[in-house]
Amino acid sequence: MVEDSQNDIDLALYALREEGLANSIFVVRDGKEALDFLFCRGPFAERSFNHPPKLVLLDLKLPKVDGLQVLKQLKNDSRTKTIPVVIMTSSNEERDLVEGYNLGVNSYIQKPVDFDQFRSTVKTLGLYWLVVNQSPMTDSAPTMRERPIKLQH
Amino acid sequence: MAERKRFDGPIEATLRRGVTGGLVVAVLLTVFLSFWSWHGARRAEQDAYWVSHTYEVMATIQGTSRDVLEAETSARAFALSGQEPLLVHYQTARGNIYQDEDALRHLTADNLSQQRRLDVLEPRVRTALEFAESIIAKRRKLGGYPGGSDALEIERLVVAVRATTQDMHAEETRLLSQRSQRAAAGQRSTRIIAVAGLFLEIGLWSLAFLVVIREIAVSACARSQLNNLNTELEQRVKERTASLAPRAEELASSQVALETQTLMLQSVLDGMGEGLIAADREGHFLIWNDSAKKLMGRDASDLPTEQWTPHYKVFLPDGITPCPPDRLPLVRALHGESVQVELMVEHPDRANRVCLEVTARPLKDNQGNLRGGVAVLRDITERKNAEREIQALNQTLETRVIERTAELKVANKELEAFTYSVSHDLRAPIRHISGFAKILVEKFRSSLPAEAHEHLQLIVQAAHRMGQMVDEMLKLARLGRQGLTVKVTGLSSLVEDVITLLAPETEGRQVEWKIGQLPFVECDPILMPQVFQNLISNALKYSRPRSPAVIEIGQTEKEGEKVIFVKDNGVGFDMKYSDKLFGVFQRLHMAEEFEGNGIGLATVERIIKKHGGRVWVEAELDRGATFYFTLGGGEHSVPEKAAAAAGGSL
Repeated sequence: MVEDSQNDIDLALYALREEGLANSIFVVRDGKEALDFLFCRGPFAERSFNHPPKLVLLDLKLPKVDGLQVLKQLKNDSRTKTIPVVIMTSSNEERDLVEGYNLGVNSYIQKPVDFDQFRSTVKTLGLYWLVVNQSPMTDSAPTMRERPIKLQH
Repeated sequence: MAERKRFDGPIEATLRRGVTGGLVVAVLLTVFLSFWSWHGARRAEQDAYWVSHTYEVMATIQGTSRDVLEAETSARAFALSGQEPLLVHYQTARGNIYQDEDALRHLTADNLSQQRRLDVLEPRVRTALEFAESIIAKRRKLGGYPGGSDALEIERLVVAVRATTQDMHAEETRLLSQRSQRAAAGQRSTRIIAVAGLFLEIGLWSLAFLVVIREIAVSACARSQLNNLNTELEQRVKERTASLAPRAEELASSQVALETQTLMLQSVLDGMGEGLIAADREGHFLIWNDSAKKLMGRDASDLPTEQWTPHYKVFLPDGITPCPPDRLPLVRALHGESVQVELMVEHPDRANRVCLEVTARPLKDNQGNLRGGVAVLRDITERKNAEREIQALNQTLETRVIERTAELKVANKELEAFTYSVSHDLRAPIRHISGFAKILVEKFRSSLPAEAHEHLQLIVQAAHRMGQMVDEMLKLARLGRQGLTVKVTGLSSLVEDVITLLAPETEGRQVEWKIGQLPFVECDPILMPQVFQNLISNALKYSRPRSPAVIEIGQTEKEGEKVIFVKDNGVGFDMKYSDKLFGVFQRLHMAEEFEGNGIGLATVERIIKKHGGRVWVEAELDRGATFYFTLGGGEHSVPEKAAAAAGGSL
């Protein structure tokens, strides 16, 4: 999950925890960190491209490198382009939506203002992408579990 | 003379010749007679002179002879007596003799025979005188009479002298008779000729008289013939005139018609507002009406075309360059061109130059031959000024539009940035408030007092409403930027769909729908449902206290304009607040009474305005409200069946 707002992180994790999915979430706080994580460099140099995340939840308005930029680099690299990305943002600006799909995003969701709706959306997302959906790397899920959930404060 | 000659017939020529001949004869005769009379008188005078001359000669001859005798006698008497006084006679006679001799010599200078006799006479006289002298001298010498034969000698000498003088006298006598005869003959012939001439003249005059008399008779006859001819001619002229009278009348009436037409044409030309000028091929003006005079400030003048520009002060539209003579419209028309141009003219009575629009055309006759040109002048000075003003205004306006557009672009950019920011940043805290309040309620339900529970619930509700408001506002903002996609849409089916969509709001209520006939219109098929949704939703909301609620939707006519309306029998409102109704966030009712965010009608107005229409409301407190709107686009009168079909497909 790429998200700069701590409140949003807390709310999302709260919703996911109810479904028992919170432990499989790794959170980064800006676009640069997200790219470092995904491209296994910098602080995440010991990571391997062989163990990509099952899903990237991407906010658009991010410090340093913005969300669409992250998406672009991700989808333009053969090592990362198969990773499913869901944009989850406050904006429902049409240009962002169009640009996102043009860059190859797998889904675009506007964060509902109402918490109940937000919660059900996040739950549905988590269940679908982390449990229901078959990703190209079948052995990725166990790998994720090896790593402890790291909540950053 | 030539005139006269033309009327000379053969008779007149003969007559003229006769008269001329007669006149010449008469003149010659008169001259001859006059000359002859003069000559006769002169000859008579000469004859008379010669007669008296002869008498003078004869007297002198006789005097000489007598004096010689006197001298001889005196000399002998002295010789005899010795008395000296006797010598006085001798001396006197001797002096006379010398005088007479000189006179004779002079008088007979014309007569050779007399001179010859005088030559004989003179020595004889000299001899006689010498003898007398000698006697006197002897007497004196002797002192007495000498005697002798002197008397005989004297006798002989005197006889000799007398013989000669008698010859001379005889000769003179002969001459006298000869001359007298000649004078008489001259006088006779003169008389005869005078008488003959007189008769001849009388004859000529008589002849002349006769001729004149005859001529008078002939001319009288001719005059009477002429009179007859004249009368006849007059008669014929009268007849011809009579036969020509109808044609003359016709001609006169057509001339009157022509004059009337000319007059009418002239008054039309002078009455027209445009200046009219026409010229023949040589550039002589045929027409130059009053308006042309007024527009040009000058009358037509007969100048060659090359001098028109300087004389009439014609310039090109720039007002500076004098119009080249070959570019003058009338000159071009005279060369067969049809033109319309603008020109400037310096008017003598106007401060500014007059701007003229000139239309010129060649004038052609029936055969298509060029006969001249005609030009119409229109004063477009005011129009030009107005155009200039409009141009200046346009320029200002354009500048202002550019400025304003730039300003608007900046404002729009700002607004977009603002909207983007709102959609991101404002929604997030609302979501957080709502989320954490919910979590609080869920997690600490048991430990929270009931009141705190209620407050948290209110926070959640408020956040929810705020979220909705932000969403609505963003929608409204996006409307402004969205373009209009117009399609012919059936409003009946559109309204039906909206009512179906709003069905949840009518649950448990008694609602009476009165849907009238609605037209097909050109509108945006995505935006137009929002108009009806807002209006019908409002009608439902404010008629909630009514049972049954009556909602009427239809089309009517207001001030000749077709309008669509949505009417309810709800709570209505006071019309004095109606101006606030369409403003964003403006509400006439408390939220506790009727929920709402004050954006719906603002959205309606914006969509209607986007279509070029108007929306307004008529309401009364507690008596319901009626919303009316028009759409700028044309209505499409599609037949009912087609309308139903189109409605079904929507």
